[in-house]
Amino acid sequence: MSESLNKQNQELSKLNEDYESKYGFHDPVDYFHKGTKGINHEVVEMISKMKKEPKWMAEIRHEALEVFYKKEMPKWGNAEILKEIDFDDIYYFMKPIEAKKDDWDDVPEYIKKTFDKLGIPEAEKKFLGGVSAQYESEVVYHSMQKDLEKKGIIFLDMDSALREYPEIVREHFGTVIPSTDNKFAALNTAVWSGGSFIYVPKGIDVGIPLQAYFRINAENMGQFERTLIVADEGARLHYIEGCTAPVYSTNSLHTAVVELKALDDAYIRYTTIQNWSRNIYNLVTKRASAYKNSTIEWVDGNLGSRLTMKYPCVQLLGEGAKGEMLSVAFAGIDQHQDAGAKMIHAAPNTSSRITSKSISKDNGRATYRGMVKIHKNATGAKASVECDALLIGENARSDTYPTMEIDNEQVRVEHEARVSKVAEEQLFYLTSRGLTEDEARLLIVNGFMEPFTKALPLEYAVELNRLIELEMEGSIG
Amino acid sequence: MANFKKIAHINDIPLGKMKSFSLNFENIVICHTEQGFYAVENVCSHDSAPISDGHIDSDGHIVCARHGAKFDCKSGDVKAPPAVVGIETFELKIENDEIYISID
Amino acid sequence: MKIQNQDFIIPEMTPELKRGPKWLQDKRTASKKSYNNTPIPRRGLHLWRYTDPTKFVVDKAQVTDAVFRDNFDEVIKSELALFKDGHSSAFVLDKAGRDIAFHINDKLTADGIIISKLSDAVESHFDIVNKHLYAQVNSNTGKFEAMNSALWNDGIFIYIPDGKSVEKPIHLLRESGLDNSAQFPRLLVVVGKNSEVTIIDEYSGGSEKQSDNMSLTNSAVEIFGDVDSRTRYISLQRNGEGAKVYLSHRAKAEQNASVLTVPLAFGAAVSKQNFGVTLNGTGADSKMYGLLFGGGRQHYDNHTLHHHIAGKTTSDINFKVVLKDKANSAYTGLIKIENEAKTCEAYQENRNLLLTKGCKVETIPELEILNEDVICSHGATIGPIDPEMIFFLKCRGINKTEATRMIVSGFVEATLKQVPADLKEKISEFVTKRLENI
Repeated sequence: MSESLNKQNQELSKLNEDYESKYGFHDPVDYFHKGTKGINHEVVEMISKMKKEPKWMAEIRHEALEVFYKKEMPKWGNAEILKEIDFDDIYYFMKPIEAKKDDWDDVPEYIKKTFDKLGIPEAEKKFLGGVSAQYESEVVYHSMQKDLEKKGIIFLDMDSALREYPEIVREHFGTVIPSTDNKFAALNTAVWSGGSFIYVPKGIDVGIPLQAYFRINAENMGQFERTLIVADEGARLHYIEGCTAPVYSTNSLHTAVVELKALDDAYIRYTTIQNWSRNIYNLVTKRASAYKNSTIEWVDGNLGSRLTMKYPCVQLLGEGAKGEMLSVAFAGIDQHQDAGAKMIHAAPNTSSRITSKSISKDNGRATYRGMVKIHKNATGAKASVECDALLIGENARSDTYPTMEIDNEQVRVEHEARVSKVAEEQLFYLTSRGLTEDEARLLIVNGFMEPFTKALPLEYAVELNRLIELEMEGSIG
Repeated sequence: MANFKKIAHINDIPLGKMKSFSLNFENIVICHTEQGFYAVENVCSHDSAPISDGHIDSDGHIVCARHGAKFDCKSGDVKAPPAVVGIETFELKIENDEIYISID
Repeated sequence: MKIQNQDFIIPEMTPELKRGPKWLQDKRTASKKSYNNTPIPRRGLHLWRYTDPTKFVVDKAQVTDAVFRDNFDEVIKSELALFKDGHSSAFVLDKAGRDIAFHINDKLTADGIIISKLSDAVESHFDIVNKHLYAQVNSNTGKFEAMNSALWNDGIFIYIPDGKSVEKPIHLLRESGLDNSAQFPRLLVVVGKNSEVTIIDEYSGGSEKQSDNMSLTNSAVEIFGDVDSRTRYISLQRNGEGAKVYLSHRAKAEQNASVLTVPLAFGAAVSKQNFGVTLNGTGADSKMYGLLFGGGRQHYDNHTLHHHIAGKTTSDINFKVVLKDKANSAYTGLIKIENEAKTCEAYQENRNLLLTKGCKVETIPELEILNEDVICSHGATIGPIDPEMIFFLKCRGINKTEATRMIVSGFVEATLKQVPADLKEKISEFVTKRLENI
């Protein structure tokens, strides 16, 4: 066992609360604005008006709503759970405070407490270059280190970006993910609010990570953040986001759209740990365009939620572009994590790698749904996919649906998948060395996840292991 | 050598419409725009759906019904995402109001 | 010129619907209804993403009586000679699913082994046929299975009683007619307890060129392997390169039964083939070794299914694809392990070798695992011949053509090991022929 894992496990034993007390609380809030439930053109108009946004954006929203009406629900993923969503019973826009703050002291006490509990200010001090905190529909707190600002890096919430840099937003908005892509992308485009906007100028390396934190507090809430990240030629950045929500008896919807663009020679690492409570439908569309010799790396952790459907995609559009996807999903009781990755090779000598790890526990279901597409012009493309699924419990379920479409013969494509349970021999070995069965199982699960946790900043790795420990509690079947 | 085959009569495809055909196991769609008749492969490069289910917009682009990808009828170039590459085009000629296309 | 998306219903007056006793006629009529009421599958649908379903629709009014290829009589002669020389224990000549002739070794008859027309067995072996026919491939399987279920004219029935082994293979030659023909062959195989049999199911004939009048062959195969039985089923599709072929195969393995399925495909313009084995009894085992080699503009769409219903069952698939020219292949393989099927092992491998520019491959190896007590893995690779291997052989004085031939032979070897020696030779010949002009 590696030393770092050892350390992480020591950390783990100290942290042992459950989701309910750590993230599952909710604040009684007097909203600055709380609209009515349901979705229609009036709601869209109201959102647009409140944001005082340009007319072209309002038009995009209304058009997208029409697309939303016309599009069918996906027939794959989990049609049964999708049926539970009642679009008329959701609040599409909730504004907690009048304007976002850039000084933590100005943030209202109840929200501050929320993010304090989640450890956001602490993390900012320690290792982040900038932080954005979104509460319901809008970003309530935002800050970035002054020296990053001086380098010309723009890190804003999306609403502010649209006001301050409308031309850059207009140039890129919806160019990676059109509203016609799917029903949920259309919904997001119609009612989006908040999210992050990042622009890194040519040749600039941000150096330290930028982070956004998304919190859903209200019941029957829909959170529709919209994130757009553009790394200009030769620029480099690492963006991290985290998400939580309270535990309610009724369900909320999280439908984000995230568009990344890495121009020639740029590098973007996008790390996300989604740790939703079990009452969130997490239906997001995330896609990146990678131009010549650029690199996109996704590090994608999916925990919690009732249903997650999420397939981050890299479109390798320029010669020599690289895409990498490292994902982990944990499906516990009554949960379905339908996640995967897509790599679209549309230029010569592009390369991609997908590493997917999933754990299904109790009656949880983890699905890997992926796509590797190699277009005719992508001579010399290389793609590899590795899926590993661990099953814990006799009713656990794992599915693997990888699609490979290859339109060029000068390529190397490899796919491998394995499904197994925690090996009895391993358990026996560890318990014979004095570990309890719970501890042994946790250790095996942590070992299984190690390639993923290694890719995270240490603070996140510790946090992730702690979350896994919570999920694993009482797992002896 | 171009090998032209008769595929349709110009009256079969009204202005602003398209029609799908199968020739030599190649799926083809003939588009009729203000600029004339064009033949392209009947497959969206985004997810392989027949683009003949879509429509031709005011710019003379084929719009795929499934995810809104757009292609130029004449060049096959991609004009809107989620598609990222173009589609194949076929040589087309009209003689005595009959449309001929060439497939190798 | 045919316009796509045209559907044709099976008319009430179709004579096939009146074939057989009342119970069979009822089933045919129900299948016809199901076919007529089922829309053509949508292209977006899972197993129809890569093949245009309208290719398998047929306007019965346009179908003419089957006319066979010029050299067919010679083929029959040489096949009969092989049978007489003892290469097979039975040779069955199935002309367009209509006119079926049987040549059976006396020993088989003495052992009580039945190889007969399905239309005869419907009467003479009512109990067995009634229990098994349509049990696996029927109108619920899909629109085109409903088509066969309604329209098969005559089929082949093979019954191996308990405890009998058929030493030499049973060879079925299923000849399709040339242009404008449509045939709906059907095969029912029931293998008794602790019995053993090898069946070579060879599809040949059909249209030789692509046109608007290409022949259609829509075949249904049902195999039942009882307790402790061992069944080897080789499907060899070498239809003419203008033929349209739709094949739906299902086998069921009971306790400790083993099934070996070898799908081989070299022919047809467009072929969609579906091979599935249900592991229904504890300890059952299924292995599949597939191979296809496409050239020209051939289009292949293969689906395999290993469905583990019972515990302690094992399965293994090795499906190989070789393509050249503008040929394309879509392969979808599903391993499904049910919640009740504990302690199972399942493996799947799909390798694709692309020899020239212009060919195209899709592969989707799928897993649906509903309990933890399994060991399961799958893998897929797609790529050209490794240039280093060519270089290595060239250094040893072997020219490129010969080197390619050697590498492809090595690639297909694992599959060919699974078939009887004379068949292996025949297939090696196809492979060598296909490798000419590369």
